[in-house]
Amino acid sequence: MNDICKATGAINEQLARYGVKFGIYKNGLFNEQLFPFDAIPRVISAEEFSKLERGLQQRVTALNCFLADIYADGKIVRDGVIPPEFVFSSSGYLAQCAGVKPPRGIASHISGIDLVQAKDGSWYILEDNLRVPSGASYPLIARQLCRRASPETFRETHIADNRDYASLLKRTMDYVNTGGANVILTPGRYNAAYFEHSYLAEQTGSALVTGSDLFVEGDALFYQGMDGTKQRVGAVYRRISDEYLDPMSFLPESVIGVPHLYEVYKKGNVAIINAPGNGVADDKGIYYFVPKMVRYYLGEDCITHNAPTYLPYYEQDMKYTMDNFDRIVIKDVAEAGGYGVVFGDKLTRQQKEDLMALIRREPRRFIAQDVIDFIDIDIMEGDARVPRKADLRAFVLTGEDVTVWKSGLTRFSRNPDSFIVNSSQGGGFKDTWVLSR
Amino acid sequence: MGAITIEKADRLYWLGRYSERVYTTLKLYCDGYDSMIDVSEDFYVRICDMLEIPNIYASKGDFISRYGYDRSDPNSIISNLLRGYDNAIVLRDEIGTETLGYIQMALYSVESAAVSDAPVLHLQKAVDNLLAFWGCVDDQIDHFAIRGVMKFGKRVERLDLYLRFRQSPHELRRAYNRMLPRSRESRLPVNWAAMDELKELLQGEEIDYARALACLGRILDV
Repeated sequence: MNDICKATGAINEQLARYGVKFGIYKNGLFNEQLFPFDAIPRVISAEEFSKLERGLQQRVTALNCFLADIYADGKIVRDGVIPPEFVFSSSGYLAQCAGVKPPRGIASHISGIDLVQAKDGSWYILEDNLRVPSGASYPLIARQLCRRASPETFRETHIADNRDYASLLKRTMDYVNTGGANVILTPGRYNAAYFEHSYLAEQTGSALVTGSDLFVEGDALFYQGMDGTKQRVGAVYRRISDEYLDPMSFLPESVIGVPHLYEVYKKGNVAIINAPGNGVADDKGIYYFVPKMVRYYLGEDCITHNAPTYLPYYEQDMKYTMDNFDRIVIKDVAEAGGYGVVFGDKLTRQQKEDLMALIRREPRRFIAQDVIDFIDIDIMEGDARVPRKADLRAFVLTGEDVTVWKSGLTRFSRNPDSFIVNSSQGGGFKDTWVLSR
Repeated sequence: MGAITIEKADRLYWLGRYSERVYTTLKLYCDGYDSMIDVSEDFYVRICDMLEIPNIYASKGDFISRYGYDRSDPNSIISNLLRGYDNAIVLRDEIGTETLGYIQMALYSVESAAVSDAPVLHLQKAVDNLLAFWGCVDDQIDHFAIRGVMKFGKRVERLDLYLRFRQSPHELRRAYNRMLPRSRESRLPVNWAAMDELKELLQGEEIDYARALACLGRILDV
């Protein structure tokens, strides 16, 4: 382990060599930044992971049931488990998806579930990301370099090999593929996660394409080779948002989508990974209801724990939110990437009054959560080990079965006073070791 | 791996061209750097003439600094390398992370040379990385057409530069002969009439450089 820590600088040099970066827009300008890697891993025991694995499989299974239901009969709403306002007013709910069944009935093929571990050791789910969760590529490439830096560590410690992510992803794509090539659809190199798009394309042997490379002919999707050959496409792992996917069905001004793609999808002639319309299930307001979904669809107690969450939409929760404003964190359900997250005790008196008034006016727009004092994980700062807040994004792949990748992206804050770990806010990342025994 | 899209083929071709442009002009720059020490102070004026780029440089020192490392100078070595990088970065799935890494490393080398006390010594690393890049292309890329397109771009660029540098007929014919098989392997829409005309123009000892350059500019049917 010490060998790896000593090699942090060298590993980061290698990551730079391979272009392991993320893009960020600041003041209207695009910049590529290196994603700082810290070599001290998060370690999860086999027993602990086994429990997490069962919980995550259960959670994602329930979320897939919810997506299938909500775009079909909407029984969960009719049975009064979730108020209709939380479904149909969600910005992630797409009316165009009603009545559309994705290939093999799977909507969330790649789910990124964000967790934190409290100081008593319990894990709490912070967010479900079912649209285009990113981040798996970073620990994937970092592991390869760590093994080179310290072979002894990996010989002597029984760490589950995480380098199977690409084959898990390919298997997932193949399972729903309707016949033809797998492609990864990227908005282009100025997307924040472009490194990941291109790396996963390379690792899965998929073609990396932009919208202009694809076209619809008849009832099928193709891309055209330089010599005029047409290649049928059976699965699109899209890394662009729903609204930009197809200008004929969603945002007409989209120039990065593929005209008529959604028509082909509706006819079952191509798989879209993840399915359009998933945003309704990872809405921060819907998150509150996931334990209820587990019970409703699976008849089981929810194994994973949500962070204690309050919906100002409910009178009782509104009162709790207002009474405990200094002890809670407020999240705007429309925001992501660490934006729209406000800690009550960090606001000035005026800011607090303004936000409270806004919550009263738009209660559906916000959730409130108790602040979880999650554990610190050491990072190297120069030659010193210093504690920092860190979360974990676990990746769950759903194809023929539901598989939790035995690793994950651990993100940490470099600011000692911050709970925000997002890369867009200056955070770094670590590898996540799941012990195999 | 299926068919290469038209967009990717275009980028592969230009990756080949820009990486060759940087490689050859780096060598020219290093020769010029040496010459300007005590042989020909205005050697840079000749470089500008040969490359047909505007001489915007106030002095040899200004040329050494800006032509090498100024990102706002569209003709600088670093600007050409950035164009190569811009093409390479969107080709990771075609050329592979290892191969792409050498373009990234070449860029780091030029950036570190820019702030070095001995820039030309640092630039050697950029030359090394570009040579390693082409070695990696041969070693790591299985797809025949991908290699073919890149190498065709490389060979077109070399002949273009050699014509501008007024290289000897022997060197030009050699460059043409190395380009010819790549034109076939690339499967690009080559203008064979222009290829034949170019071959004719490079025969003999009196070369019409301007006409040959114009002909090379028509080498692709696009």
